[in-house]
Amino acid sequence: MTPRPPVGRVVATELKPSTPHQFYFWTARESPVGIGTIVRVDAEGRLIHGVVTDGFAYSDLLTPLHAVLGADGDPAVADATARTEVRVFAAAVLRQAPEEPLQPVPLGEVFLADDADVVRALRMDAYVEGDAPTGIPVGLYATGGLEAPVYLDADFLVGPEAAHLNITGVSGLATKTSAVAFQLASVFQRFPVQKGSVAAVCFNVKGPDLCFLDQPGPLDDADRHMYARLGLTPEPFGAVRYFAPYKADGVNLNTLRTHEALAANTEPLVWGLREVLDYAEVLLNRDDIDAKADAFIDFLADRVVGKEFSDTTLRPAPFRVGTFADLEEFFRAIFDAMEAHGRGGEVWRTHHLATIRKVRNRLSNITTRSKGLVTDDGEPNDLPWQAFADRTVYVVDVAGIDPLAQDLVFARVVSKLREHLERRDLGVDHVVVFVDELNKYAPGDGPDTYVRRMLLDLSERGRYLGLVLFSAQQFRSQVHRRVVGNAATAMYGRMDSDELAMAAYGTLTPATKAKLAALPKGELMIRHPHFTQPIFVRFPRPAVLQGRQGVERFPPAPEVPFPQAVARRLRALDPSVTAAAVADLLAGRVEDDVRRALHATERARPEAALAYFRACLGRVVAAEGRGPDRPVPGVATSGDPYA
Amino acid sequence: MPFHDLRRALAEGGAQVATTRPAGSQGRSEEARIRPARLVEHDRLTACPVGSPAACPEPIAFLDGIQRHQVIGYAGAHPIIGAVVAAAVRARGPGGHLHTVAMRCRRLLVGRAAALAGVAPGAHDPVVLPDEEPAHPIRDIDMARAVVDDARTAVEVETGLAFRAERDDWLVVDGSLAESPAFASDPRMLGISKSHATLPFEGPDLVRYLQLPAGHRSSVFQPASHRGAQVYAWGLRLWPWEGRDLLFGLVRIEAAPSPASLAAADAWSRWLLAERVPVSSPDARWDRLLYGIHSVEEYLRAAVLEP
Repeated sequence: MTPRPPVGRVVATELKPSTPHQFYFWTARESPVGIGTIVRVDAEGRLIHGVVTDGFAYSDLLTPLHAVLGADGDPAVADATARTEVRVFAAAVLRQAPEEPLQPVPLGEVFLADDADVVRALRMDAYVEGDAPTGIPVGLYATGGLEAPVYLDADFLVGPEAAHLNITGVSGLATKTSAVAFQLASVFQRFPVQKGSVAAVCFNVKGPDLCFLDQPGPLDDADRHMYARLGLTPEPFGAVRYFAPYKADGVNLNTLRTHEALAANTEPLVWGLREVLDYAEVLLNRDDIDAKADAFIDFLADRVVGKEFSDTTLRPAPFRVGTFADLEEFFRAIFDAMEAHGRGGEVWRTHHLATIRKVRNRLSNITTRSKGLVTDDGEPNDLPWQAFADRTVYVVDVAGIDPLAQDLVFARVVSKLREHLERRDLGVDHVVVFVDELNKYAPGDGPDTYVRRMLLDLSERGRYLGLVLFSAQQFRSQVHRRVVGNAATAMYGRMDSDELAMAAYGTLTPATKAKLAALPKGELMIRHPHFTQPIFVRFPRPAVLQGRQGVERFPPAPEVPFPQAVARRLRALDPSVTAAAVADLLAGRVEDDVRRALHATERARPEAALAYFRACLGRVVAAEGRGPDRPVPGVATSGDPYA
Repeated sequence: MPFHDLRRALAEGGAQVATTRPAGSQGRSEEARIRPARLVEHDRLTACPVGSPAACPEPIAFLDGIQRHQVIGYAGAHPIIGAVVAAAVRARGPGGHLHTVAMRCRRLLVGRAAALAGVAPGAHDPVVLPDEEPAHPIRDIDMARAVVDDARTAVEVETGLAFRAERDDWLVVDGSLAESPAFASDPRMLGISKSHATLPFEGPDLVRYLQLPAGHRSSVFQPASHRGAQVYAWGLRLWPWEGRDLLFGLVRIEAAPSPASLAAADAWSRWLLAERVPVSSPDARWDRLLYGIHSVEEYLRAAVLEP
């Protein structure tokens, strides 16, 4: 192989000296060197790798005045001879060999980095080589006709050494969702055997972004070339399960993934009282939560819900509170009893009536605000806790639900993941959680919410458990510092110039900022613990159908009347179910009974769906509705302001 | 301005005001003289407008040389002088970029035979000064400088001839073509002299010569030469001189002594006017120093003198 000629030579002057961390070199006027180019300096006894962080051009003109005078003030007057122009680049040192003694970069020839140089420069030799490599491809470093794969270290991406990935960039141009989808696929395909199993939970928070991860998307030759160069197979995710709450009608799913061809792996997400009560804090704002309300909620959770609770002062028969309807009955019994007690009956079991009423109001409100997710009386249909499968993506579609319900979903899913990973009974060893719009859920300012505390906890302690946060947002500066600060790997797509002006980007040179502000789609700047400087890489489009394309190819099923909607849900379980057969079954039935039967069938997922559904309808399914509300007595005041 | 009032008075009296002494225009003061030339165009010296600047449409290159000398020691009372002379040609390529196509360099060690006897010259060529007169350090240094001048001229000629052997580009030479018969007869060479120690006219012709308006040339003349080859020459004003100095922007162009040169004096002058941009600032001689020549000097300084 012919040795490649140098592209430049190191220069060091009194004004611009070389240091152990930075050096300057000049190049020919036409050279492939640009911001982000990785170069190698060959000097006697030393090998230095650096990345270009800034560029300068000089001419021999002392002042613009001379150029103006020379042209007689007429810009149209062309120079007979092109002025001498010098290109000088500043480079930040990535690595020196030998590393000790650490010395200023000596004068020497400068070469473009090849594959081996990129491996050495980014210290990837520590984890892409050897018996148990942990390299996860992240993209191609490409410049001057050279392209070299760049790898992240799995030990620093999904733990235990460090973990988490955060990606930032402007909407639509930074390709954040594509980058995460590609990176997840890369993790799934190249996750080191010795690290065990891995799954992903993705929250779809807007539109159809993540609704088609199991469908192949269009790729061009350049994409396929990049996949080949990275040693990856361009294919959609093999195992994806979708979970979406119902709409308010309790039958149609609240997602854009409602095309019948995709129904087989799209399931309802339904929670009941038990699932919600543990996360009541999510649903109550700061003003609601006080020690008294907290104590009463704890009382309900510990003593009442899911247990047999007896209090003969309320009624002779014990309470069995399993649903919101049961809970309402329980509250009503308390209020009745206290009303009957008359004056002095404002405290029940040390809980003041005002506190009980407040908690009752807030909890009752949940089924209204989160209708479709939280059911009054149904059984839950949840993620497969303890049965998570290796290399499986679980997409929870919360794009269409109330923000409060979104918070509830985040809080509960992540908390359950943590609980099960702590007990090592989730079914997999590692879980990647993807949260988009992180600045909304973990803002740098604003109220201290349960979700933000949960994300903080995840970012600070998740790596020990194998719980990893992949997150994205438009404005990194608006996210809580500790959340993004704990992300060992950071990616930057096209950036907004106002965002780049923030102090958090002060370590970047103006040239790097300029490049970030104009970064093309499919290119990212990456920080990773092994890389001493940010590196620019290109990545291929993910081999999955992107949201907008997916909606065009699989248009969401139109919302249909109740009987057809039920038939469609059942057809997802058994394609032989006909609308006519379902219509016959529903004749004369109460809609709540039908919903209960449908939800029971969907939970059971029987082979003979229609028969099972018929059986459910024929059984008890008696209405368990709470009947008309009765007025709640006012609070009897004792005159004690500290009660 | 201490002489502001005086200048105003001069101007009111009809004299030409001067404010800027063009660097290097005077040449060596000991050589200042009038050497009357012979007009070969017009009956009397005339200022001719040459028209708008128009870049040379053909390939063009620039030749210049540099020299440096230093007293590096003494052997008794005899000075020993080290010197380097070099010359290069830079050709204008696509996009107007200059690149070096020929270069020569020579290192000299100059002194009397007695002084050089005990010195190992290394990479330097020893040049022995004549011993006819008694040693005098000042005079010896002056003689050494003349030797270095000649060496530089020689290396320039050598470089130019080497270039010409390879290429047929127009060649703009810094200085007089009369130094070399080959140069003087080359129909595609133009010499540019920036210094005016030797002037070709006297009396009213000299005034007309030194007061050429910008964009004008003088009538073509044949300089009187006591040692060099015969050439045709004309003065050309590159920049307005009024209010600065008589020599500001004034160059002497030399070409082969032929009717073709006579016929092309205007066209070639327009080429050279086009070479005013870019200006060769920050060089103090920018009013007469063409950028191509300046580029050769810069190249030689970096390649020969700086390392």
